[in-house]
Amino acid sequence: MTASLAIEASQLRKTYVTKRGVLRRERVERAALAGVDLAIEPGELFGLLGPNGAGKTTMVKIFTTLLLPTSGTARVLGLDVLKDQWALRRRIGFVFGGERGLYWRLSGLDNLRYFADLYRIPPQVSRRRIAELLERLGLAGRERDRVELYSRGMKQRLHLARGLLNDPDVLFLDEPTIGLDPVGARELRLIVRELADSGTTVFLTTHYMFEADAICDRIAVIKDGGIVAQGTPDSIKDTVQDQGVVEFQVVGMPAERLAGVRALPGVTSVAVSDRELAQLVTVHCARPADVMTHLGAILDGMKLEKVSSREATLEDAYVQLIGESS
Amino acid sequence: MTSLVRAAWSAFRVSVRLRVISPWAYLNWLVFPLIFATVGLYVLSRPGAPSSHLVYGVLGGGLIGYWSVAYLDGGNGIQEERWNGTLEQIFGVPTPLWTIILGKIIGSLLFGLLAFLPTAAFAYVGFHALLPNVDASRFAISLGVLTFSFFSIAITLTPLFALWRWAFSMLNGFELGVYVLCGFMFPIAILATPLQGVAGLLSPTWATRALYASTVAEGPHDFMLWWLLAIGLSLAYLVGAYFLYSLVEREARVSGELALA
Repeated sequence: MTASLAIEASQLRKTYVTKRGVLRRERVERAALAGVDLAIEPGELFGLLGPNGAGKTTMVKIFTTLLLPTSGTARVLGLDVLKDQWALRRRIGFVFGGERGLYWRLSGLDNLRYFADLYRIPPQVSRRRIAELLERLGLAGRERDRVELYSRGMKQRLHLARGLLNDPDVLFLDEPTIGLDPVGARELRLIVRELADSGTTVFLTTHYMFEADAICDRIAVIKDGGIVAQGTPDSIKDTVQDQGVVEFQVVGMPAERLAGVRALPGVTSVAVSDRELAQLVTVHCARPADVMTHLGAILDGMKLEKVSSREATLEDAYVQLIGESS
Repeated sequence: MTSLVRAAWSAFRVSVRLRVISPWAYLNWLVFPLIFATVGLYVLSRPGAPSSHLVYGVLGGGLIGYWSVAYLDGGNGIQEERWNGTLEQIFGVPTPLWTIILGKIIGSLLFGLLAFLPTAAFAYVGFHALLPNVDASRFAISLGVLTFSFFSIAITLTPLFALWRWAFSMLNGFELGVYVLCGFMFPIAILATPLQGVAGLLSPTWATRALYASTVAEGPHDFMLWWLLAIGLSLAYLVGAYFLYSLVEREARVSGELALA
C-alpha cells in the first residue's frame, strides 16, 4: 500500500451474516464486497457507480469506519480503518443521501453545534466554521429554524455542512443528490466540485451517470461487489465508442421477440424499461443500421411507437458494463 | 473543559431539549406516575391497610416514573436515533459512544427526578398523605444511591439497544420486572423466596429499601448495609459495562445494524 494515497483498498471483502426462519434458524451469508482494489489520489473527485445492492454504501461505510471488512485492507489518509478509527474519524467527513440523519425538532444551528462538539472541535473554531458553512451553503438566515421546516434541498445542504464541520481531508458522499429537484441537485454538484478544486478528496457514490460525467475526475463501476471498470468518464465511454444504440418503443414486448432482437448479429446487450403502457427497448450493438434493417421483421404486426438510433453515452457504457437487461 | 466533557455536556443538552419539546416524554414523567400513584394510594389508604405502607403510594408512583424515564428513555432514545438515521452519525464521530450515552442518561435522570413532584403533590392534595417521619439526610443519601444504581443499569443496558434491534422488544418486560422485583410499590417480603433472591441482585432493590426506611420511624434499619450493597452491585454493573462498550463498538461494525434497511 502507498502512503501518499488518499484512499486505498486491497482485496476488500464484506460478507453480511443474517439468520432467517422462526423455528429452524438458518444462517444466511450475503457477499456485499467481493475483493475490491482501489487507489484514489489526494484531491481527486472519485465517483462510484452501480445499481442498488452492488456494494456502494457498504464500501463507504467501511472507509468511514462504520463497518468492519470481513477481510482485506482499507486505508484512508494512510490510516487503517480497523486499527486507527479514532484518528481517522477526526480527519474525514461523511454524508448519506436522503432526509434522515438529522434532528428534525432541533434547529439547523443546534444540529451543527451538537455535531461540532461530538467531533471535538474547540468552541472558538466551531463557531467560526459553522458561520462560514452556513454562509457558503446558503443556509444563513434560516439556521435558527427547526430542520422539519427545511426543504429537502436545505436538509441536504445541512447534511453537507455537518459533513464539513471538521474541515475533512476526505469527504464521503453516498448518493447526496438523491431526491433533490434538478436545481438543488445542480447546486450541490457545484459545491462538491468546488470542494474538490480546493483540495478535498471526494468519494462520491451515485446512480446518475450525467452527475458522474459532469463532476468526477475518475469513476469506477461496481457490480455484485466487484469493480468491473475504472478510469476517467471519457475512457469509460470509449469502451462503447465503436458501438451505437438503437431505441424503439412498443406496446407489449413478448419474450420470444425480445430473444429475436438479442440474437441479431452485433447486438451486445438489450435493456427494457417501462414507459407508462409501452416499453422502451434499448439495443446496444456494433452496427445500428443492420439492426434497424432486421427490426421490421422481428416486430412485424406490433404497434411500434418510435424508432431511433444514436451514439453511445456514459449511461450506455454503464448499462453494458453491468449487463442490465431483462 | 476537555473535548470529551464538552461532548457529554452537549449530548445532555440535546437530550433535555428533545424531551422538553416531545409530548411523549410527559407520559413517562407525569402521566404514568400519577396513574400508578392513584392506584397505590387508593389501595393503601383503605381501612385495614398498614399505615406504614402508605409511603409506597406516596413515593411509588414517583419511583416508577423515575425508573421509566431513566431506563426506558435510554432504550427509546437509541431506537429513535436508529429510526431518525442519527445513530450511525453519532457512532461515526471521534467521540466514544459511552460519552454520548453518559450525557443522554444524565439528561434522563434529571427528567426522571421530576416524576416525584406531581405524585407527591397529588398524594397530599388528593389523599392528604404525608411522610411525617422523613429522616432528611438519610432520604437524600438514599435517593443519591438510587440515582447511581439507576444510572449504572441504564448505562450498562443502553448500548445493547444500539447493537441488537431485538433487545428493544425486551425493554418493557425488564422495566415492569424491576417495578415488581425492586419493591417500588410494595415490600418485596411478599414475593416468593426465589424472586426475593433475584431481587437481591438488583441494586435498586437495596436503594429503594433504604429510601422507604428513611421515611418511617419503625425499624430495624440497616442503612449502611443497604447503601453499600446498592453501590457495590452498581459498580459491578459498571465493570460489565466497560467490557460491553468495547463489544458493542466492535460488533456494531461487524453486523451493520446501526441503520435501518
